[in-house]
Amino acid sequence: MPAPLLEARDLVKKFPGVVALQNVNFDLRAGEVHALCGENGAGKSTLIKLLGGIHPHGSYEGELRVDGKAAAFHCIRDAEHAGIAVITQEFALVDELSVAENIFLGRAPRRGLRVDWLEMQQRAAALLADFGLAIAPETPVRALGIGQKQLVEIVRAMDKKSRVLVLDEPTAALTEQEVEVLLEHLRRLRSQGTTCIYISHKLDEVFAIADRITVLRDGSSITTLAVRDATVPMVIKYMVGREITDLFPRRSGWSAVTPTHLDDAPAGQRVEVNAHHPESILAVRGLSVAPAKGKPAFLQNISFELHAGEVLGFGGLMGAGRTELLMHLFGAWGHRLGGEVNLRGLPYARPTPGESIRRGLVLASEDRRRYGLVLQQEIGFNLSLSSLRAFTRHGGRLDLPAEQVRNQFFFDSLRVKAPEQHTRVGALSGGNQQKVVLGKALMTEPTVVMLDEPTRGIDVGAKLEVYELINRLTADGKAVILVSSELPELMGMSDRVIMLHEGEIGGEFARANFSQEKLLAAAMGHAHAA
Amino acid sequence: MNARALIKTLAMPLALAAIWIFFAVKEPAFLGPRNLSQLMVEFSIIGTLALGMFMILLTGQIDLSVGSGVGLIGGLAAVLVTKHGWGAPAALAAGLVAALLLWSLMGTLIVKQRIPSFIITLGGLLVFKGVFWLVINNSTIPVMGVDENLYSLITTYYLPANVGFILAAVVAALLGLLVWLSRAGRAARGLPVPSAGRAIVKLVLIAAAIFVAVDRFNHFHGLPVTFLILSATAAAVYFLTRHTPFGRYLYAIGGNEEAAVLSGINVDRVLIGAYVLMGVTVAVTGFMQTAYQGSSSTTVGDLMELDAIAACVIGGTALKGGRGTVWGVLFGTLIMTSLLNGMTLMAVSPELKYIARGSVLALAVWLDVRLGRT
Repeated sequence: MPAPLLEARDLVKKFPGVVALQNVNFDLRAGEVHALCGENGAGKSTLIKLLGGIHPHGSYEGELRVDGKAAAFHCIRDAEHAGIAVITQEFALVDELSVAENIFLGRAPRRGLRVDWLEMQQRAAALLADFGLAIAPETPVRALGIGQKQLVEIVRAMDKKSRVLVLDEPTAALTEQEVEVLLEHLRRLRSQGTTCIYISHKLDEVFAIADRITVLRDGSSITTLAVRDATVPMVIKYMVGREITDLFPRRSGWSAVTPTHLDDAPAGQRVEVNAHHPESILAVRGLSVAPAKGKPAFLQNISFELHAGEVLGFGGLMGAGRTELLMHLFGAWGHRLGGEVNLRGLPYARPTPGESIRRGLVLASEDRRRYGLVLQQEIGFNLSLSSLRAFTRHGGRLDLPAEQVRNQFFFDSLRVKAPEQHTRVGALSGGNQQKVVLGKALMTEPTVVMLDEPTRGIDVGAKLEVYELINRLTADGKAVILVSSELPELMGMSDRVIMLHEGEIGGEFARANFSQEKLLAAAMGHAHAA
Repeated sequence: MNARALIKTLAMPLALAAIWIFFAVKEPAFLGPRNLSQLMVEFSIIGTLALGMFMILLTGQIDLSVGSGVGLIGGLAAVLVTKHGWGAPAALAAGLVAALLLWSLMGTLIVKQRIPSFIITLGGLLVFKGVFWLVINNSTIPVMGVDENLYSLITTYYLPANVGFILAAVVAALLGLLVWLSRAGRAARGLPVPSAGRAIVKLVLIAAAIFVAVDRFNHFHGLPVTFLILSATAAAVYFLTRHTPFGRYLYAIGGNEEAAVLSGINVDRVLIGAYVLMGVTVAVTGFMQTAYQGSSSTTVGDLMELDAIAACVIGGTALKGGRGTVWGVLFGTLIMTSLLNGMTLMAVSPELKYIARGSVLALAVWLDVRLGRT
């Protein structure tokens, strides 16, 4: 048997106060797709940063071998020379440049001293077409959505003729259609001999694409399995070290026998308000919103009600307006053209984030690194950032001990995996960062909690904790709005779902009427075709 | 603590020690009571301005107009006293009000019109300079007539020796009380309290340092008023940045403005607040600097914006925002002013002074980057 293409032996990587990796062994065979699975903080990101030269040789113990020979990567370029290209969760694209310029960043085709723009455009157009992307090469990257940016990054890495493509959560922000395109391309690349390390929390994807799976837990490699011998529950069991029986443990605080099946009740018989929970906490009627003053409406005629103890799910394809709706209700997006919003019985015409928080409406954003956290600051700083009024005493003085006690309570009850609340948030894994974002929202003692993709990029165990949190919130009589791109999650955790389609309501469904087909049809604007 | 962190922590104290030893060897008068007193006055003037700049830099903004502002506000008060016969208190109050108006205007323009602070304050630099020269009519305006007044006393009055010691005792007692209150507050919440022995040793050392400093000042006239102004400003800025929501918001905005907005922070109001506070420190610095020179003339305040920014950056404040401490700013100011004072004492030519100032700034930032930012 030939030497593995890439091999890790007894890797140990320590950070101040944390052992990120201990005794990780891992081998990559030429031509395979090898998945890395593990919970947040299991060491996946650290491992690929070692492989990609981001944590340089000498900062860790153990050995990396390429083609059977010991390798020492001192920088990212060393790893690239060895043919290893890492695509991380954070985009490495320049927003102000075009797609073509980004694809050829640092290696633009030249004619003499000048950049050959025409050739660059043509080659970029060919690459994009080859990848099945309908993006013009001259489009500025800033105009792309989060999913398209991810795809452009993958196109760029694939064009670098890398031998090993390392994809860290490549599909976290992709629609199902885009995921399918990506997997198709990975299969094609594999058939052409490219090797791939694939990190994803979505096990169905892993099983669809991978040849082998290595499971990491708490910084150690637990096992490596061939996919044909493995099952999803088996992998989950290795990942969490225990068995998980119910993936979506929704315990409804909202009676399931409510007559709110709006989708197939004849007009005139609709029952808008639940008899057991007559109080609507948030009522939206005929809301139309434009991105900015003078622009045409993007959200149109949105109406819904939200009740105490209820989880209302919002679904839809990318660009359907879910995030915009939440951001607008919170006061951080758009210009209201018409419609009414009533929050806890009072009209709420001019929302701002500060006013929303005072009135008990909070938002945990989907893009936590951009909108949620001050990464260079401590966990505690971030947790209490929205709630400082509660700790302000006479004379404007902050009661620091009271704040610290409160921070510690959230730090403990959310089970943030970090040495202490004074750890910098930027040093945490995605799932733990998400917990801090949620903690910050919950510390404001809200009545309505809006969660935008609260489980994006986080692992099974952390997801479960988020679901439990949702259950606790609704059991306390709070109302939750949940936005998710994953239909099983949306259906599993919502009491009611509204699908958005191009800025309008495409269909509304009570829990009894959930089905993937109906929801998808509504998302695509065929509510009555299904 | 690893070697890197140790070097990083010690780099600035070592640099300061090296500067002091160098000048003391070259020119023994450097450590004489007269020069130390003068050094402390210069330190206090630039330090006050740097503390205002610190809060602006924390948010990731900048203010290039403060040097011109120092000249303008100081000149305005001098003209009111000398040419219009105003009493010094009224003239100083008028200068302060003018500074508050100008800086709230600039802050509002930056925030509401979304014009980068670099541009607005660069405009301010030029406009204020022009208005300044108009106000003093390109001449030299003394800060007092025949008699001393409140304006001139800012840099000519020294606390009598025994008053200085009494003040030192009061400050030491106050610090002790604050430490005790903070420990009691933590204990009452069931939080771990650092060891009492350590706290006492630290407190005793600080108290000793205060008394030694006052004693040194007393060898030459006594505690200068400017030093008291700086101490009060530093205490106020420390309280603001560490113990109020406003201070937290400065760090949050500089660290991630979008996240700050979504955390419900009224970013516009905080930014305007930072500029208004900058205006206050500009006015106070303007009075001190003009009084120190004895009169207002066209060069007062020249390049002080850069000294203030350099002091902050040398002291570890990030120009991108979100990082820095009051102690660092004071330390950076001390390094900067020691260098300026020592070179003046050695009669170094102005050309070389500029080169040395620039090199020290570049070197300090380079060191900071090399040793890794935390």
